[in-house]
Amino acid sequence: MNPNPNSTLIQTRDLVKRFGEKTAVDQVTFQVSAGEVFGFLGPNGAGKTTTIKMIVGLLQPTSGSVEVAGFDLQEHPLEAKAVCGYLPDTPNLYPKLSARELLRFVGDLYEIDRDQVERRSKELLRLFELSEAADDPIDSYSHGMQQKTALASALIHDPQVLMMDEPTVGLDPRSARMIKDILRQLAERGAAIFLSTHILEIAERMCDRIGIINEGQLIAVGTMQELRALGKGETSLEDIFLSLTGGAEYAEIAEVLK
Amino acid sequence: MSLVSTPGSNLWSSVWKLLRLRGVIFLSGFRRARLRNKIGMVVLGLVLLAVLVVAFVISYLVLRVLSSPQLAQVVPEPDRLLANIPVMVVSLAFVIILITSFGLLLQALYLAGDMDFLLSSPLPIRAVFLSKQMQAILPNYALILLFGLPVLFGLGISQGYNLLYYPLVVLVLTLLTLTAAGIASLVVMGVVRIFPARRVAEVLGFLVAIVSILCSQSGQLGNFAEISGEQASFALMQLERINSPISPLAWAGSGLVAIGQGQWLSGIGSLAITLLLSGGIFAISLSTAERLYYSGWASVQVSSRRGKKTRREPSRVTTRPIVFTLFDRLLPGPVRAILAKDFLVLRRDLRSLSQLVTPLILGIIYAVMLVRRGGEPPTGRGDAPAVLIEVMSNLMLFANVGISLFISWSLLSRLAGMSFSLEGKQYWLIKSAPVSTPRLVAGKFLVAYLPTLILCWIFLLITSLLQRVSLDTLVYNLIAVTLTVAGITGLNLAFGVIGANFEWEDPRRISQGALGCLGFLVSGVCLLVCLFFFFGPVVLFDLLGSTPAIGFLVGLVAGGAASLCLMILPLWFVRQRIPVLAE
Repeated sequence: MNPNPNSTLIQTRDLVKRFGEKTAVDQVTFQVSAGEVFGFLGPNGAGKTTTIKMIVGLLQPTSGSVEVAGFDLQEHPLEAKAVCGYLPDTPNLYPKLSARELLRFVGDLYEIDRDQVERRSKELLRLFELSEAADDPIDSYSHGMQQKTALASALIHDPQVLMMDEPTVGLDPRSARMIKDILRQLAERGAAIFLSTHILEIAERMCDRIGIINEGQLIAVGTMQELRALGKGETSLEDIFLSLTGGAEYAEIAEVLK
Repeated sequence: MSLVSTPGSNLWSSVWKLLRLRGVIFLSGFRRARLRNKIGMVVLGLVLLAVLVVAFVISYLVLRVLSSPQLAQVVPEPDRLLANIPVMVVSLAFVIILITSFGLLLQALYLAGDMDFLLSSPLPIRAVFLSKQMQAILPNYALILLFGLPVLFGLGISQGYNLLYYPLVVLVLTLLTLTAAGIASLVVMGVVRIFPARRVAEVLGFLVAIVSILCSQSGQLGNFAEISGEQASFALMQLERINSPISPLAWAGSGLVAIGQGQWLSGIGSLAITLLLSGGIFAISLSTAERLYYSGWASVQVSSRRGKKTRREPSRVTTRPIVFTLFDRLLPGPVRAILAKDFLVLRRDLRSLSQLVTPLILGIIYAVMLVRRGGEPPTGRGDAPAVLIEVMSNLMLFANVGISLFISWSLLSRLAGMSFSLEGKQYWLIKSAPVSTPRLVAGKFLVAYLPTLILCWIFLLITSLLQRVSLDTLVYNLIAVTLTVAGITGLNLAFGVIGANFEWEDPRRISQGALGCLGFLVSGVCLLVCLFFFFGPVVLFDLLGSTPAIGFLVGLVAGGAASLCLMILPLWFVRQRIPVLAE
C-alpha cells in the first residue's frame, strides 16, 4: 500500500440517506486523500454513523454517490470494499469464534493468501496484546479486547482506506495511544483514515482535516486553521464545535445539575 | 444535596416495590404489544383457567375410580396407593421447582443485567434477593398449583378428608417451593463460581431441549398396548418407593394425609417438622446466597485464565486434512470462510445446536419404528383391494426416503431458513467485505445442504441395509434425496432471505414471523411434490408391469427437474434483496 499521496481515496457527492420522512444525511460532499487523517465530528444523532455505513457499503444511499479508491460503490462494490477496512462503533463479533479464527475468517472473505493471513494475524494479535487470549472465545473478552480484535480484523488485509466509528471508546489510555500511533503510521504509509469521534482532543491532535456534521448536513470541513477562521474568534476545537453545532443547551443542563 | 428523603429500609415494602416494578414492566409490555399478541395472551390465560378446571374434574373422577373395588384387582392395596399420592405430588413439585428455579435464578441474578442497578439503589439487599427469588419461582409456583392443587384437592374430596387438609396443602406447597428456590440459588452460585454464567445457561438450555424431545418422543417406542396387569401393578407399586420414611418430602405428604384422615398427632408432628425444616433451609440459603453474591464469591471464577498455557497453533499447511485441501481448491475464499465459520459457530453455540439435534432424535426414533415394523405396510382388517396393497407395498420400499426427507425438512427449516438470520448483529462483517451475492448464497447454501445431505445419506444407508433394499433402489433413493434436499435448501434459503431478522439476543428466539411459518409449510408441500415426481412414475410403471428402469428414468427426469427448479428459481427471485439485507 503506497498510493499516490495526492490521490483521492474517499469521495462522496451529494450523499443523501432518508429513513422514511427523516433525512439522516443531507447532501454531504467531501473527499479524503491518501495519507490524510480525516476527523468526523457531530452531536449525537447528527448522521456520522449513517455516513460511515454508506461509505463502507452497509447502507445504500437514497441518492448521491460514494467512491472509494476510485471505485464507485454502487457500480463496483466489491472492488471498493476490497480496499476498505471498517471498525464499527459497537464491535459485534461472533462470540463463539476466537480472535485467531475471526482473523482467518475475515482473511478468507478478502481472499488473502492463507500463509499471509497467518503471518498478519500473528503480527496483529501480538501488536494488540491479544496473543495470550487468541484462542479463547470472543464472548470471554472484555469490551476493550473486543474493540482491539475488531480493529485487527479491519487491518488484516492492509486496507488503503480505514473507516472508524468511535475507535477509542472503551479502550484504556495505553490502548488508545497505541491506536493513535497505528493510525498515524498507516497515514504515513499512504492510507486514508476516516474516523468519527466525540473526543475533540483526538480530532484536534491527530486529524489533518475535520468535518463537522449537524442534523445530517456537513456544516464545516477544513484544517484546524480553516475551522478557526470559520468560528467567531474561538481557538479551541471544542469552542468551534459548540459554536457551529449550538451549545446553549449544555449550559442549561449544567444549571439544572448545580 | 440529595433528593432522596427516606431510603427504603423496610424489607417488605421494598420487596413489594420491586415486584410492583415487574408488574408495571409486564403491563407496559402488554399495553404496547400488538393486538394479536394481546389476544394470544388473553386466550392463553383462559386456556390455563380451563386446564385448571378440567384437571380438577379429571383428578376427582380418576381418584374416585382409584378407590373403586375394580382397582383392587390390579392394585392389591389401593388405599396405600392413594395415601402415596400427596407424597408423589409434593416430591414432584419440589424437584420441578428446584430444577426450573436453577435456570430462572441464573437468568435473574447473573444474566438479566439489572443486579448492579438494584444493589446500588437504596434498597435492602435482602429485598433484592427476595424479589429475584419471587420473580423466579412465581411462574413455576403458579404452574405447580395449576396441576398439583386439582390432584390434591380432588383426592381430598374423593376421600372425604377434613377441611384443614386444604389450606395446609397450599401452605406445604408454598414453603417447599421457597425451600427449593433457596437451595437452587446456592447451587447457582456454586456453579457460577466454576463456570461462566452464560455458558451454564447455554448448556442448561441444550440439556432441557434434548431431555424434552427425548421424553416427548420416547413414548412412541413403548408397547403400551401389550402391558399386562401384573406389569401395571408392579409399576404402580414402584411409586411407593418415593414414600421413604427418611425423606422430609414424604413426611410432608404423609402429614397431609394424616391430617386429612383426622390422625391429628402424627399429622401435626410430621407437618410441623417439615415446615420448620423448610423455613430454616430457606432462611439459611437466602442469607448465605446474599452474602456470597455481595462478597463477590460467586463472581470470581476459580477456573481463570491464569496459568493457562497459550495453545501453540500448529502449522495449517502441514496438518490440514486432505478433504480440507480439496475444499480449498474447489471453493473460493469467501464461500470457504462462510462454511468454516458457520460450522464452528453452530457446533459451539449449544443454543443453536439444541435445535438441530431435535431432527436427529426424531430420525433415530422413526428409524427404529420402521425397522421394527419390518418395512411392511399396516395390514388393517385385511379387506383392502389387492391393487391398493401392492401400491402400499411399493410405497413402503421408499418409506425410509420419506422419513429421511422429513428429517431434512425439519433440519433445513432451521439451517437454511434461518441461515442469514443466524448472522445476527455480526452480519456487518460479511456485508462490508468484498463478497458477491452468488458467493454469499453459495456459502449459505452449502452450510445448510452439506450436513443435511450427509445426515440423510447416513439414515438412508442404515435403514436400507437393515431393510435389505436392493442396490438399484438404494442408488436411486440416494440420487432422489440428493436432488430433493438441494431443492428444499434453495427454497428455504429464499424464504430465509425474505424474512431475515438480524436483531436478536438468543438464537432460539429468532422470529421470522409469518414468513418463516409460510416457508416451512411451502417447503413441506414442495417436498411432497418432489417425492411424487421421483417415486410416482416408479410405482406407476411397476403397476403397469413395465421394466423398473423406465420408471426410475422417468422419475429421475421429472423429480430432478422439479428439484432443480426449486433450488434455483426462489433464489433467483430474491437475488435483489440480498445486497440490501440488514438495512
